[in-house]
Amino acid sequence: MPHDEIEILEERRNQVFRKGEGAASGEIACGKRSAAGSVSQRACVFCGSRVVLYPIADALHVVHGPIGCAAYTWDIRGAHSSGPQLHRNSFSTDLQEKDVIFGGEKKLAAALRELIAACTPKAAFVYSTCITGLIGDDVDAVCKTISKETGIPVIPVESPGFSGTKKDGYRAACEAIYKLIGTGDISGISPHSINLLGEFNIAGETWIMKDYFRRIGIQVVSCISGDGRVDEIRRCHGAKLNLVQCSGSMTHLAKKLTDDYGIPFQRISFFGIEDTAAAIYGAAGVFGDPEIESRARELVKEELLKIQPELRRYRKILKGRKAAIYVGGAFKAFSLVRALRSLGMRTVLVGSQTGNPQDYEQLKELCDPGTVIVDDSNPLELAKFCLEKDVDLFIGGVKERPIAYKLGIGFCDHNHERKEALAGFEGMINFAKEVHASVMSPVWNYVPRRANRRQERMAA
Amino acid sequence: MRKIAIYGKGGIGKSTTTQNTVAGLVEMGRKVMVVGCDPKADSTRLLLGGLAQRSVLDTLREEGEDVDLEDIRSQGFCNALCVESGGPEPGVGCAGRGIITSINMLEQLGAYEDKVGLDYVFYDVLGDVVCGGFAMPIREGKAEEIYIVCSGEMMAMYAANNICKGIVKFAQTGVVRLGGLICNSRNVDRERDLIEAFAEKLGTQMIHFVPRDNDVQRAEINRKTVIEWNAEAPQADEYRALAKAIENNKKLVIPKPLPIEALEALLMEYGLFN
Repeated sequence: MPHDEIEILEERRNQVFRKGEGAASGEIACGKRSAAGSVSQRACVFCGSRVVLYPIADALHVVHGPIGCAAYTWDIRGAHSSGPQLHRNSFSTDLQEKDVIFGGEKKLAAALRELIAACTPKAAFVYSTCITGLIGDDVDAVCKTISKETGIPVIPVESPGFSGTKKDGYRAACEAIYKLIGTGDISGISPHSINLLGEFNIAGETWIMKDYFRRIGIQVVSCISGDGRVDEIRRCHGAKLNLVQCSGSMTHLAKKLTDDYGIPFQRISFFGIEDTAAAIYGAAGVFGDPEIESRARELVKEELLKIQPELRRYRKILKGRKAAIYVGGAFKAFSLVRALRSLGMRTVLVGSQTGNPQDYEQLKELCDPGTVIVDDSNPLELAKFCLEKDVDLFIGGVKERPIAYKLGIGFCDHNHERKEALAGFEGMINFAKEVHASVMSPVWNYVPRRANRRQERMAA
Repeated sequence: MRKIAIYGKGGIGKSTTTQNTVAGLVEMGRKVMVVGCDPKADSTRLLLGGLAQRSVLDTLREEGEDVDLEDIRSQGFCNALCVESGGPEPGVGCAGRGIITSINMLEQLGAYEDKVGLDYVFYDVLGDVVCGGFAMPIREGKAEEIYIVCSGEMMAMYAANNICKGIVKFAQTGVVRLGGLICNSRNVDRERDLIEAFAEKLGTQMIHFVPRDNDVQRAEINRKTVIEWNAEAPQADEYRALAKAIENNKKLVIPKPLPIEALEALLMEYGLFN
């Protein structure tokens, strides 16, 4: 179908923005529930909380609901752990018809007793789902009882799928994590210390980042939640600074830590050269220690020298290619626009599931004229703009992949399913390699979209 | 087969009235099944002589899906067939879903099939239609006739009016109709006139006026319907009359529920507010 025949739903017109030539103007509507009839790329509240807490590796994650909710998150994030692997299991109470009728509380209590005895976790998270929200199971009371019995924190996550948007799930996850914070011993924490918030170690990124901070002399008290540990989270209030990478999910927690413990936070990103360097310098500058700052400069210089020649080579090949970006949090979108720019590529379509008004303002400033910006988009819109802009690459997550492939467009997973670390300087090289391989694959010359173009050219 | 559901305010006497009426029907030689749709599972006690009936849902919980009709259906007074849906303890789970599950199960097990030879099935449903589950008996293909038990008390009439709203909703998409109001008297002044007037405003009829009589309680203490306990009692004839009225009833309507003001005006007119 030609792109100009795909119409934007009336209710969604104000969530789609085209940056004009010259100054950006007009507001993008965002932060609202998805329009009915629009097959939103967003997931539900439960999924939002699940993806945030999933990487906490020594905790038990129990999904209280029908099996479908748990099947969906089986190892889906792929988040790596350097130790325990308990998090990769999605345990479920597997609620069935008779549990719905008679209530699932006893089954939940039994599941928790059995699992805590068998797995000896440091804490347990219990996720409520649509069904348990609807039948009114008292999950809080069960958690309290089991916590008393077993002596470990058993934390309810208020996440019935229907109770809001994916963003509300992030918030529920933050509230759950916050119940752990402040319960650990903070003695021995360095005055030069940070927490990494909103970094999930999908492909080992947490380790890259921790290595940088180790090299410049900054202690990472806790990463929430990549390669996460319950005991680290319990004492993370002892850190002096919070770095927030996934702004959509973790700003709420960062603000709580500022309000209650006086810990300032910075929004940072480790995707792309510029942002990685800025994140390292930003953190290093906070402690007023010239030695840390000089080590930071050394590190950036050293790493850049390692990758520059190869990056230049990719840049030459990729120059002028066009990309579409659709991701969960807007902050990642900023980084990707800049990272693509450093590869000589242009972003012509960019959007997020959970951006807020300030995010979109920033995105408008950052993007080139002509770029389409979308909030809470759907497959048809994304397809329309991909065709209209004739993009060479789509960067997104699992739900965007089939859209790209059906249109005959190269795809780069920057979400749960990536297998190569994309953070930091070495991550930039991995990213460039992947973009190069996807964009330059000869297969795209044989897809119908390109075939038509060839025919048009020949006819002309 | 006539498919009948009895609704009404909680405590108004639905189960008592249903069972006594069913006793009248089975005495006339009709084949009747009563399905209790209340988690308390107390809708068939009088017909079964107090025998504890295993509820559909308890059986399902204890024995899984592999259930026989005989496990959940008992024969009571004059071969009346009795089923209790049952449900969760107060405060847990979803009783509404329980009703849906147990009625589906009865259908699967063939409880309604022609070979059973039923003349009537009665659904005795918990007081208020609080959610979709409790409306299950009046959905398409289930009960087709509704009788509302009420009295001249204000709250009973409010509830009856509200139930009519539910009937309207399901009548528009299905075949369910209102058969009439059963006045279970509380000895309120001018009660008969009031309920007759109310019924007329709703577009229906008062199908029978059941006077208050302590024999009902005496029979209940003996775990029997009045007809079984004392076939000669005058109250037994009242229930026989009600059974006959239902048997002969042709007036099935889509009710016209009253606005609250009209309902209150009616109560004023009959002196309740004085």
